[in-house]
Amino acid sequence: MVIKCDAVLSKISDYLEDDLDPAVKRAMEGHLAQCRPCRAVLEGATNVVALYGDENMFSLPVGFHSRLRRRLADRVEGQRGSWRGWLVSVAATGALAALVLFTTVRDRFAPEPRTQMSQPARRLPERLVAVADGGKTFHVPGCPYMHGKYRMVTPEEAIREGYAPCNRCMSEALRTAGSVEPDFEGLEIASSATGAR
Amino acid sequence: MPSPDPSHEDEAALIGRIQRGERELFYDLIRPYERRVFVIAFTILRNEADAEDAAQEAFLKALKHLAQFRSESRFSTWLIQVAINEARQRQRKNHPEIMQPIEDQENEDGTYTPRDFADWREIPSEALERKEIREKLIAAFGSLAQKYREIFVLRDVEHLSIEDAARVLGISAGAVKTRLLRARLMLRDLLSPGLEGISASHSQGPKGTRPWS
Repeated sequence: MVIKCDAVLSKISDYLEDDLDPAVKRAMEGHLAQCRPCRAVLEGATNVVALYGDENMFSLPVGFHSRLRRRLADRVEGQRGSWRGWLVSVAATGALAALVLFTTVRDRFAPEPRTQMSQPARRLPERLVAVADGGKTFHVPGCPYMHGKYRMVTPEEAIREGYAPCNRCMSEALRTAGSVEPDFEGLEIASSATGAR
Repeated sequence: MPSPDPSHEDEAALIGRIQRGERELFYDLIRPYERRVFVIAFTILRNEADAEDAAQEAFLKALKHLAQFRSESRFSTWLIQVAINEARQRQRKNHPEIMQPIEDQENEDGTYTPRDFADWREIPSEALERKEIREKLIAAFGSLAQKYREIFVLRDVEHLSIEDAARVLGISAGAVKTRLLRARLMLRDLLSPGLEGISASHSQGPKGTRPWS
């Protein structure tokens, strides 16, 4: 079989792949032995394949692996069904259930409000307030609306017992809570404030 | 040569465990293919930063769609397909002006006439240690049309079989062979005068001596 340059050049790739009919391959090798230009092309193509196939030819950018790990971390580690993730879920659910239970119990055992107005104040004074056992509101000591025998309790205790803030003295006290000292001077805690209305 | 791929059985077992919830094993699954996916993306995008971003995205998509992977095919081939799709999609988004012809307009009958029949002086692999040689080779590669870059990388860099390369690119085995021949011969032509030119800027021998000599 005789083979010409054009045919050889068109089969150089198949020759490199060793994907030729044996008779064609023999004919090609016979031609290459005699034809320097075709041999130069073959050698060049062989070198190209060897060079680009070398693993040093294309290398990963420095830090590629760690950047990839960081990019994947959320998807790989964030969504896995690990025991740690399971524990966190269980703990969060338990905490929520405990909070709901506590709120329910607290509300159930809280005393009935003494008045329809008896709602927790949004801001409470940091000092003790005065309540009377027969009264419905709690006061800053010295409030002209106080009457009867009273005792000193914390605002939280007063609210828990169902007292509502006094419309007069507490509105003033609540506006300035924590910043103004209530007037305790001259207060007669155990005295009757009758007529001091 | 790149490190050999893991065995099909080992990989199938690994994939099964990941699909059943051991997601952290995904790192082990993709470790042998990090370079491969990057090179595929670089082949299409020709920019290192874009290629890295596309490669990362390809791995994310591979994880997301791992349940769709069928073990009768090779994971590496599937992953390359994901990477090619991602890089092509990014290329269309970033450079919509680059239109890839639907029909191959070029003559693909395999005829290609080399421009240079001069004796080829072999470039030793050690030359790749020199950055300017590698850059010259990458520049020559980057100047090829995309369809030639793709097939050349799949076959001659990543060593896919002709059949796998055809499957990944969605073309016939005959088209793979034709494009491969042209890519190899074009690169040969491109490299001879290009690398010859480097010697002028590096006084490593008489004029005309190739730098890898």
